[in-house]
Amino acid sequence: MRYFRVVALVFGKDFKDELRRKENMASSFLFALLSLVLFAFALDPTRVDLNQTGSGLLWLIILFAGSLFMGASFRKETENGTLFALLLSPCDRSAIYVGKFLVNLVFLVILEVLLLAMAFVLLNFRFQDSVIRLAVVWLAVTIGYAALGTLFAALIAQVRGGQVIYPILLFPILIPLFIAAATLTQDALSTGFSWSNQWLRLVGLFDILFFTASVFLFEYAVEE
Amino acid sequence: MALRRSIVVLWAVAAAANAVTLWLVFTYAPIEVQMGAVQKIFYYHVPSAIICYVLLFLSFLFSILFLWKDEPIYDTLAYAMTEVGWVFITVVLVTGPIWGRSAWGKWWVWEPRLTSFLVLWLMYSAYLLLRLFSRGDARSSKIAAVVAIIAFFDVPIVHKAIAWWGSIVHPKKVVLEPAMMWTFFVSMGAVFLLAAAFALTRTWIGIEESRRAEREVAR
Repeated sequence: MRYFRVVALVFGKDFKDELRRKENMASSFLFALLSLVLFAFALDPTRVDLNQTGSGLLWLIILFAGSLFMGASFRKETENGTLFALLLSPCDRSAIYVGKFLVNLVFLVILEVLLLAMAFVLLNFRFQDSVIRLAVVWLAVTIGYAALGTLFAALIAQVRGGQVIYPILLFPILIPLFIAAATLTQDALSTGFSWSNQWLRLVGLFDILFFTASVFLFEYAVEE
Repeated sequence: MALRRSIVVLWAVAAAANAVTLWLVFTYAPIEVQMGAVQKIFYYHVPSAIICYVLLFLSFLFSILFLWKDEPIYDTLAYAMTEVGWVFITVVLVTGPIWGRSAWGKWWVWEPRLTSFLVLWLMYSAYLLLRLFSRGDARSSKIAAVVAIIAFFDVPIVHKAIAWWGSIVHPKKVVLEPAMMWTFFVSMGAVFLLAAAFALTRTWIGIEESRRAEREVAR
C-alpha cells in the first residue's frame, strides 16, 4: 500500500506542476500541430488521400512531440537538484518510475486526442470502424512508448549532452512498436481488424516486456 | 602480459586462418551457377552476421552482470563486445548490398532481414554515441548497460515483427554442395577467430584505459 502511495504522490506532484507551468505540454502540442501543418504542405492533401496513408504520419508526429515532452520529465528534477532528494527518500525506487510513467502516459494521451482531432479537421480523416478499436490500439501503443520514454528520460538526465542522444537512443528501439501502431491505426480507420491480430499481440508483448524491464532496470541504473 | 601474449598468438592464428579461407574461396569453392563469382561474398557475409549476434549476446550478458555485480571489468567487457559487434553489423550491411546489387539488381530493398539489420545497426550506433558523449563519466556505464539490455531485447522483436512480412531475398534454408560447405565451415572459423582477436584486443585496450584513469585519480 505504501508503494502505491509513493506512486500517487510522485504522480500528483508532477501532474500539478505540469498543469501550473504548462510549458512542456504547450510546447509539445504546438510542435505536433506545426508538424501536422508542415506534413500537409509537404504531401498536399488535395491530391494525396491522407485517410489512406496518413496514420504513419500521425505516429511520426506523436513520436517527435512525445519525446519532446517526455525528455523533460527528469530534466527539471536534475536542473533543480531535486532528483537527489527524490532518490534519497526511503521508498522503493521503482515507485518513482511508475509515478513518472503515469504522468507521461496521461499527457501523451491528451496530446494524442488533440492531435487526432486536428487530423480529422485538417486532413479529413474519416472513421469506418469502431472508436473502441482505435482507442485500444492508441492506448496500448502509448503504454509501451511511455514506459521506454520515461526510462530513457531518467537515464539521460544525468549524461552530458543527454538531450541530443535521447531521441537517437529511443527511436530505433521503438521501431517495431510504431510499425505496429501505424498498421493497426490504418486498419482501425478503414476495414477494422480482429482482436487476435498479430500486430496487436506484438504491441501487447512490447508493453509487458518493456514495462517490466524498465521497472527493474530503473532501480539498478539510476543513482545519486 | 599473459593477455598481451595470447592476443599476439590469436592474431597470428586468425591471420593464417583468413589466408587459408581466401585461398579456399577463390580457388577451391566452385563458382555458383546463377549468381557467378559475386556469390563468394557469402563466405564473409553470413559468418559476420552469425558472429555479430554472438557478440551482441555477450554484450547483453556482460551488461546484466555489470548491473548485478557492479564489477568494472564487466563494463569493460560489455563495451568491447558491443563495439566489435557493431563492426560486424557494419560488415554485414556493407557486403549485403554489394552482393544484392549484382544478384538482384538493387542495392537495397525494404525487406525484413535488411530492415531489421539496419535497425540493429541504428540501436548499437546510439549505444556507441552514448559512450562517446559520456567518456570518462563513471555513472554513464550503468546507463550504457541498460541501453545494451533494452536494445538486445528488441533484437528478436524486430526480427520477428519484420519476419511476418515474409522474406523475398533471403532463403529460409540453403543447400550447399560439399565444396561450398567445407569452404563455409572454414570461413566461419576464420571469421570467428578474427572476431575473437578483435574482441580480446578491445578488452585489453579497455582494461589499460581504466588502469590509466585510476593512475590519474591516484595522482
